[in-house]
This record gives sequence, C-alpha cells and structure tokens, in this order.
Amino acid sequence: MSAAGQGWNRREFVGAASLLALALGVPAAAIRLTDLDAQDAPTERQRSLMTRVADLVIPRTDTPGAADVGAGDFVILALAHGLSETRAPMAAANVTAALAPFRRRNGSLRYLAWLENALDRSASGDFLRHPRERQAEILAALDEAAFAKEAPFSPWNAIKGLILTGYYTSEAGGSQELRYELVPGKWEWNIPLTPEMRAFSSDWTAVDFG
Amino acid sequence: MTDNEGQFDAIVVGSGITGGFAAKELTEAGLKVLMIERGRKIEHQIDYETETKAPWEMEFRGEGDTALYERDYAVQMLNRHFTEFTQNHFVNDAEQPYQKAPGKDFDWFRSYQLGGRSLTWGRQCYRWSDYDFGANKRDGVGTDWPIRYAELAPWYDRVEEFVGVSGAREGLAQLPDGHFLPPMELNVVEQAVRERIRAKYPERVLTIGRTANLTEARPEQGRAHCQYRSICARGCSYGAYFSTQSASLPAAQKTGRLTVVTDAQVHRLSYDPATRRVTAVHWIDTRTGEHKRAHSRIVFLNAGSFNSVHVLLNSRSEAMPNGLANSSGVLGTHIMDHASTLAAKAIMPGFEDRTTFGNRPTGVVIPRFKNMETLDGDGFTRGYSYQGGAMQSTWTQGKRMGGIGAEYKDKLHQVGPWSMVLVAFADSMPRAANRLTLSKKLDPRGVPQLEIAFEHGAEEHAALADAKKEAAAMLTHAGGKVIMGFDRPNHGGTAIHEMGGARMGWDPQTSVLNRWNQAHDAANLFVTDGAQMSSSACQNPSLTYLALTARACDAAVSMLKEGRI
Ligand SMILES: Cc1cc2nc3c(=O)[nH]c(=O)nc-3n(C[C@H](O)[C@H](O)[C@H](O)COP(=O)(O)OP(=O)(O)OC[C@H]3O[C@@H](n4cnc5c(N)ncnc54)[C@H](O)[C@@H]3O)c2cc1C
Ligand code: SF4
Repeated sequence: MSAAGQGWNRREFVGAASLLALALGVPAAAIRLTDLDAQDAPTERQRSLMTRVADLVIPRTDTPGAADVGAGDFVILALAHGLSETRAPMAAANVTAALAPFRRRNGSLRYLAWLENALDRSASGDFLRHPRERQAEILAALDEAAFAKEAPFSPWNAIKGLILTGYYTSEAGGSQELRYELVPGKWEWNIPLTPEMRAFSSDWTAVDFG
Repeated sequence: MTDNEGQFDAIVVGSGITGGFAAKELTEAGLKVLMIERGRKIEHQIDYETETKAPWEMEFRGEGDTALYERDYAVQMLNRHFTEFTQNHFVNDAEQPYQKAPGKDFDWFRSYQLGGRSLTWGRQCYRWSDYDFGANKRDGVGTDWPIRYAELAPWYDRVEEFVGVSGAREGLAQLPDGHFLPPMELNVVEQAVRERIRAKYPERVLTIGRTANLTEARPEQGRAHCQYRSICARGCSYGAYFSTQSASLPAAQKTGRLTVVTDAQVHRLSYDPATRRVTAVHWIDTRTGEHKRAHSRIVFLNAGSFNSVHVLLNSRSEAMPNGLANSSGVLGTHIMDHASTLAAKAIMPGFEDRTTFGNRPTGVVIPRFKNMETLDGDGFTRGYSYQGGAMQSTWTQGKRMGGIGAEYKDKLHQVGPWSMVLVAFADSMPRAANRLTLSKKLDPRGVPQLEIAFEHGAEEHAALADAKKEAAAMLTHAGGKVIMGFDRPNHGGTAIHEMGGARMGWDPQTSVLNRWNQAHDAANLFVTDGAQMSSSACQNPSLTYLALTARACDAAVSMLKEGRI
C-alpha cells in the first residue's frame, strides 16, 4: 500500500486495490500443516476423516462445500494451535470415562483422536468405509446428542464450530455462500429483508456477538 | 540528543490520544516540541498492513493463533478487540510485563506505538456533566474536583470541532450536547426500542453513540467520510476516525515545529529541588539499549494514565523519595476503571422482514438516569449508563445450533434474528487502596515494573445489580425476550478506562495536580492524560482527557509567555 501513500486519492486507492485483486485472484493464505509439531501432525486418515466430516456438516450445494475449501485442514491447524480453547486443560467436571483416555499430560483433550475413535465406534468399524448417507446418519446422531438441551460437554461442539469458521471465512464460504463487502460506503438503517437475501460474512458485529 | 539545551520548549511523553493532541496544541501555539514515544513508528495509510485483508488471506482467518497469544499476549488476548487483524496494534505482554497485587486481577489493555490507543479505541465521545465533576463533593468519597463543567465546555467545543464527533443533540443535563456532525441513524429495532422506552420512562433516552467517525468529509484535514466498514482498529486509510495519525500528528507536523522520537521508553524525569522544576527527560532507546535524555522548558506527561504515574514513581530522588510530585503521598492512589458487564441480551421479535446495509461503527447509548436530582440508587451514589445496540446474527449462530447437511447450510446463509444487548458501565469509586506501586521486578530493559492493586467495591456491585434489573425491565417492556444478563463486574481494566493516580485537587496536601494540570510540586510539569482524574463518571473518558489537555496547553503557554514558569 505504499503507492497509496504518495499522491494519494481515495477512489483510486480503493479502485486499484480491488482491480488488482480481480486480476490476480485474491491470494488466500495457505493452510500450512507442515509446521506442526510431530505429536500434532495428523495422520493421512485423520485428514481424510476431518475433510469428510466437515463436508457432511457443510456439503456442496449450488455453492462449494467445506471439502472444496479445505475446511478440514483448517480444523486440524486450529486444533493444533488451540483455537476455541481446545488446548486448555479440561474442566474436571467434564472428564468422563469416555474422554479420559484422550487427555494430554496437561489435561487438554486430543480432539482429533477422540473424533476418530467416536465415529469408528458408532460405525462399528471404519467410519470412512461406510457410504456417505450412513456417515451422515452417524454424524447426525452424534450432533444431536451434543446439541440437545442440557447435554453434557461434548468435544464435538468445538469441532463443529471450527468447521463453520473454516468454511465461512474461506473465500467461497465468505463471498459466495454469504456476501462479503469490505467497503459498504453507506449505512442504511432500515431496508426490507427478503428470503433470497444472504447474510454478510463482513458484518463483524454479527460475527462477534450474533 | 544529550545537549539540546534551548532546542525544545516542550517535551510531550506519549503520542496517543492526549499526547498527539498536546503536541498539536503546543506547536500551533508556537512552541518547539519533542514528542517521545515508546513504541514503533506507524505511518498513516502506509503501515496499516491488515486493513484491507479478507479473513481468507489470514493464516488463522482473523481469529489468530491462540498458542502464540497465550505465550506473548496473555492479557491482550482477553480483549475482544484483539484479533489477528489488530494484534499488531496491541502490546506484546511478554515484552511489556506488569505485576498484579497478590489475589487481585487487572487486565491492562495497551497499545505502545506511534498513535497509542488512538488507533485502537472505540471512538465513543461523551461530555461529562456537573453530576460528574460534583460527584466527589456530593457523596464525600475522593477529593473535590477543582473545576466544573462550565469551565470545560469551551474546551470540549474546541476539541470536538477538531476531532469530528457525530451524534444527536438530546438536551440532557447528564450528557451535555456538543458540536456534532450529523448522527448515524439508529437501526429499525433501536428506533422502536427508543420510542417504547420513552413511552414508559420519560426521563430515559436511548440515543445513537456519539463517535469520532466522520459522517462528513473533511478535505481540509485530508480525511474522507466514513465508509461504514467497522474495522477501525486495523487503521483507516480514509482517515475517517480520529487518531493521532489521521488528525493531530499532521496538524502538529504542519507547523514545522515538531520532532518525533519513537522506540524510546521514558523511564525517569530529573528534578531540581532548588528551582522546583523538572530538568530532563530520560529514556532508553529500545532498539539499542542506549540511555538518552533531553531538556525543555516544560514537560507534558501523556503516556496513558498508569504509564505516566509509573514514570513519576520511578523518578524518585533524594528530594522526592516517594516519587516525583508526590509530597502529598497520594501519587499512585485512587485509581479507577469503570465496572462493566453485559447487563442484558434479548431476542427482539417483530422485525423479521427488516434489515440494514453497512457496518455502523458505533452503537447506542442510554445515559445515566439514577442518582440525579435525588440519591435514589440502592447501595450506590453515582451513575451507570448503557452502551450496546441491536443486530442480526450471521453464520456464527450455527455454533449454537444442532444440525448438519444442506438444510443446515441453507439456514445459515439467511440473515439471522434480531437481538439487542446492553452493556452497563458504572462509576468506579476513587479509593485509596486501589493503587499503583513500583514492583521489585524489572522489565527486560531494567526498569522496575508497575504493580497494580485494584478491586471493585460494594458500590460498583450494587450499581451493576441495579443495571441488570433495569436493563431487563426496559428490554422486556420494549418487546424483547431477555435471554441473559449479568451483574458481576468483569476484571478491573476490562472497561479500558483505567484512570487516576495523579489526581487533580485544590489542596497540595491531598492531590498531585492543580486545576491547570500542573504538578503542585513542579511548576513546569503537566500531566493531562487519565492519571489526572479525580473521579471516573460512567462515560467513556477520552473526550474529557482531550478537553483538559487543550485547556492545560493553553494555560501552560500563557504561563510560559508571562514568564511564570
Ligand atoms: C479497544 C479499546 C476501546 C476503547 N474505546 C474507547 C472509547 O470508545 N471511548 C473512549 O473515550 N476511550 C476508549 N478507550 C480508551 C482510550 O483508548 C484511552 O482512554 C486513550 O487512548 C487514552 O489516551 P492517552 O493519550 O492517555 O493514552 P494512549 O492513547 O494509550 O497513549 C499513550 C502513549 O504513550 C506511550 N507510552 C507509554 N509509556 C511510555 C513511556 N514510558 N515512554 C514513552 N512513551 C510511553 C504509549 O506507547 C502510547 O503510545 C478504548 C481503548 C481500547 C484499547
Ligand atoms: S468504519 Fe469508517 S472510520 Fe472505521 S475503518 Fe471504516 S471507514 Fe474508517
């Protein structure tokens, strides 16, 4: 943006920035799993599993789905870096017999290993070998239990949240499935909302508080 | 810069909201000014690296690397304004450590850089009233302010005219009107809530947040009107919100009388007991570790409340063993930060077919309505007010919803339901026990760290309990369904309105500064940031710091010209 600093003109600045983006395609930050510590590096199976699970949550419709945008890898990166408090030691009250084996020394949970195990157990074998419809049923049951009223702690809530983050902050999720407007330029306080209008991924207040 | 005798008339320590403004006022009055800033240089437009980035251009999609944050930003990460987009505008806590008194919490949110927190602030600008300047006298807690609203009003005018504050005139005694640019509109839900609250409680007013965002361009300042992005803390190349970079620094530079030094941590002022004057400002060049100093006829401390007190405490000398300008013994005491919490969140049905366009960079405010003509607070004698707003949810609501698959996905691309939040901010009582001291622990540059001892008390708890009750009553009356509300204050510091420690007062025995922000003990020393505050009010404080800064600059220049200092 140094060019914008000299002889600067706002309209030119914005225009030039967006033209450039159009010409080059907006550079997406690559998801780098290669930098992870050995113990956080996923197995190939875990990567496939996470990609599939993400895609079951947000499938391809008339817009790309979570697998298309690499949301599975984002979840793996996010879990390794502790987003959504996933590297914090578990609260004692949440440690059940089913979760205890997946704890690290510091008391935090190995989310990915837990998910792999939970899905394989529900599938009575290799989750990934089942047809997509059966996988969806298994995942839906796990989701329903986790989101039921008064449900006990489930690691699934955080994983699902990160899938959503991975998808809706991707270029397709943020700007095709939703609308993205960096420079609205005006404020309209009361306009009709019609069913075909999509939400804004650039409504930062809504992202924070909604 | 060791033998600069005669080169500078004034040194300003800090380049944030108040330091930048002091530099502008003093240079425009003809003084040669050296502004010393602890942090790095950030150039307007050129250095706002994340300003135009989309989430998909960020490695952690805007959420940031929690592992890094826990290591280096353990305090800053607790602030919701701290994200991957703004992390470069907040301090690295590992490099800038401070101590908390045993058993007490204080989350100190800081920006050490050219521009300070003028880059990251929420831009809310409210005048104080005589309910606020008279508060200490009225209930007998703290020392009486040696000024009243009428004296400050012209300085508020001057500041607002330069800063550019948009807002609506409401004619309220407790929140005086200012020189406003056109207000941003309330959204459809807020308008309805305003009407419904007023119908039931005629003395309660919901109005648009008064904010330092330009609703009209200011070509003469090189500033465009706001583009309604609400990403201000990344830095704004339009210059549409008030910051040191967008407004006060260019004005000061235009005079040709400003010198700026960055990466320079001031740690000490030296003082001559014979003349009762500050004689030099000492700093450490944080890149080389070199110790440097400069002289000037007057010194303005604007390092951001606690930092200014820190410098004074660390300037102990034989003549002033408890810290510079501390013959009273009150330096460091009576620190404050508004007690704040989310008083209510409600779902607001009935507006399903309405929405908005654009990101309005301000919310709404409901000014104080308790303890005005009569002391009607239950267990508290001062005020609280609310800030918040109505909004529609977006994809993040999916994190709380069951479901997977295409149907779930389709639900999440719809504009979500309306909700409204009210966050309460209550007056913080000035208490001697809430105080700053020097720790024995040193920072990485060898300077004793600041230790903060702070705790909210019974009054703040009572005020927030009342605020929760009233917020629920108002939103329910306005047709909302309240789904949550809290009355326990967040940790001290979370309002990011930390202030006090070098309070202004009539009596040199019980205060640090006189009514012109001048140290009782050192005639050429002025402190015009939040350290000066004798009470906290419940409004955001920066506009008041600015008005007091402008007034003090004017006073200091007259004193200089008349040869009195
Ligand atoms: C997220 C956020 C939202 C906020 N919202 C609002 C709001 O809506 N309204 C409002 O009124 N206030 C708000 N505030 C508070 C506001 O930012 C401060 O009140 C204001 O910035 C204080 O101005 P200042 O000049 O005293 O300090 P600062 O702006 O903090 O500037 C101090 C400067 O001094 C420098 N410094 C510190 N120590 C030294 C030293 N030893 N030597 C040299 N330089 C030093 C710092 O690096 C910094 O640049 C908010 C703050 C934050 C972080
Ligand atoms: S909302 Fe306005 S002031 Fe804030 S960054 Fe956008 S254009 Fe600048």
